[in-house]
Amino acid sequence: MTTGRTLRVGEALLGGGLLALGILIAVETMLTPSTGRSVVGPALFPYLVAGGLVLVALSLLREAVAGPVAHQGGFEMDGAAVAFVAGGLVAQFLLIEFLGWIPSATLLFVAVARAFGSRRLALNALLGLALAGGTFLVFNYGLDLNLPSGSVVEWFAPDE
Amino acid sequence: MDTLAALGHGFLVALTPYNLLWSAIGVTVGTAVGVLPGIGPALTVALLLPVTYHLEPTSAFIMFAGIYYGAMYGGSTTSILLNAPGESGSIVTAIDGHAMARQGRGAQALATAAIGSFVAGTIATVALTFVAPLMVKMALLFGPAEYFALMVLALTTVTAVLGDSLARGLGSLFLGLALGLVGIDMQTGQARLAFGVPELLDGIDTVVVAVGLFAVGETLYVASRFRFETEEIYALKGSKWMSREDWSRSWKPWLRGTLLGFPIGALPAGGSEIPTFLSYLVEKRLAKRPEEFGHGAIEAVAGPEAANNASAAGVLAPLLSLGLPTSATAAIMLAAFQQYGLQPGPTLFDSNPELVWGMIASLYIGNVLLLLLNLPLVGLWVKLLLIPRPWLYAGILVFSTLGAYTLNNNVVDLVILWVIGLVGFGMRVLNVPVAPCVVGLILGPLAEQQFRRALAISQGDASVFVTHPISAALLAVAVLLVAGPMVLRHRQRMAEKAAEKAAANKAAGRSGTTPAL
Repeated sequence: MTTGRTLRVGEALLGGGLLALGILIAVETMLTPSTGRSVVGPALFPYLVAGGLVLVALSLLREAVAGPVAHQGGFEMDGAAVAFVAGGLVAQFLLIEFLGWIPSATLLFVAVARAFGSRRLALNALLGLALAGGTFLVFNYGLDLNLPSGSVVEWFAPDE
Repeated sequence: MDTLAALGHGFLVALTPYNLLWSAIGVTVGTAVGVLPGIGPALTVALLLPVTYHLEPTSAFIMFAGIYYGAMYGGSTTSILLNAPGESGSIVTAIDGHAMARQGRGAQALATAAIGSFVAGTIATVALTFVAPLMVKMALLFGPAEYFALMVLALTTVTAVLGDSLARGLGSLFLGLALGLVGIDMQTGQARLAFGVPELLDGIDTVVVAVGLFAVGETLYVASRFRFETEEIYALKGSKWMSREDWSRSWKPWLRGTLLGFPIGALPAGGSEIPTFLSYLVEKRLAKRPEEFGHGAIEAVAGPEAANNASAAGVLAPLLSLGLPTSATAAIMLAAFQQYGLQPGPTLFDSNPELVWGMIASLYIGNVLLLLLNLPLVGLWVKLLLIPRPWLYAGILVFSTLGAYTLNNNVVDLVILWVIGLVGFGMRVLNVPVAPCVVGLILGPLAEQQFRRALAISQGDASVFVTHPISAALLAVAVLLVAGPMVLRHRQRMAEKAAEKAAANKAAGRSGTTPAL
């Protein structure tokens, strides 16, 4: 059960994050030597955006302390489900070049289905495999786009 | 008459079997994604961008326009039969539409939505046909200062009208603007905010941001809420036809909804939410039995559904004639134009008339196809709602990572997708609207370009923005939009305080001072 208090912390995090982003942009822009000789250089807009970010962040922080919260009367969230989806995506971007598209996409499919409460692992894996395999065929042979077949496969079966 | 000749030529383009096929694919896919929860037109067009790279631009845009219109039709089906709106433009429809479905009048609700969408879509497409050339004439008067002011206005309206807190909307907008800064500066070739990562030099792709926010963020959010929410789907039963009374109660709301939807969509006022809400309020005010509203009044389905279709046509007017996106889907379509190296605006009407007019003509055809798809075949679409949610969302994510990866064939885009997805999840939890972020990302760099051009022409004199009357007026409206609600809210809070004080005084037996409200 997430309460209004947690949501306030969330909003404070959002405000803090935007504040940090604003400062980061300002500092990075300051550190970049300017090369342009036009009237308005490439630095002005980043400064404007940084300024806007800082102002909005301060107003969000004020709202986090005293303003209305997003969901009146609490809000329930399933943290494990979020972790399954987020974890599935991490596994995919870590493995896609090594294992290839088909296994990594299948894994993602199973992870997301699990997040939504489906425990039929074998069936989900089969469906994911069909979807990943189908898209691989369509994209690589039909549309000339390159989905990785995986460096593991290329070790065993190098194409010329 | 020029317009009619151009439109006639457009029909010749749109009616070739090849383009008819793309139009049919577009409206079918559009209806499907409109029906399916968790996937909408902006996300679909974004995911299709890498696939359509080799397609003729005209055919691609005919398909995209079909998807946009189709999603407006399909969204109503989900709103009515499921207690969750399929699209943001269908939130209002869900109130009475779902109530009608509970009473076994789901078929009538679907019919008035589909026919209303057709009537509104057709009238609004006619309006688009004649308004777009007028806007082009107006645009020829615009210099960089005016364009900059117009973009500022579009950014503020998209931000100010969405969500319940201005600070949250602005936070989303500035996040988008910040993401838009990343990459090589077009005018000087200088790298900005790339932090030494070579993949960031090309900038952060709009597609990755849109897919991250709309697909990954949304899926994370739905996953987090999935255990706590129940869905009830209502089967269609009983008579499938609208009675004479249904017709007589529907046709006026259709027309009024169209009248509200098109202009509000065409103004830089941010998509379809506002006109649907306004239409609901207007119908309630005018209804003979306003007490039925909220309990299955057919007017409350007919009006808003007409309004959201009309606004879809309205949104296309500034997109095509000024290059100005006023909704998330329009922002993605602008990204599509950029992919083909095209810049929407007055020059597009001269240089690519077959694209512009072929696309507009295809909207007439698409509307007819959509009426056929949605009225007799509605039962088929309802079947889509039966797809188990685990498989639906797993599939959406597989396609999302596929789209993000195939953009540039690199893993960095998948990492950015993940980060943006987590940010999008946080935004959803905190009720921060995501549309300003997408519009800011795509419009920010264009606004900067016009801003610098204007200052280069004026040789650094920043007063050009307020001395040019059109620019000054547009900026004034933008300021009013941000400041107005703040002042109103402040006064409301003061009034509430005064009322509390008065109540306290009354309770204490010292009545007599009535605050002026």
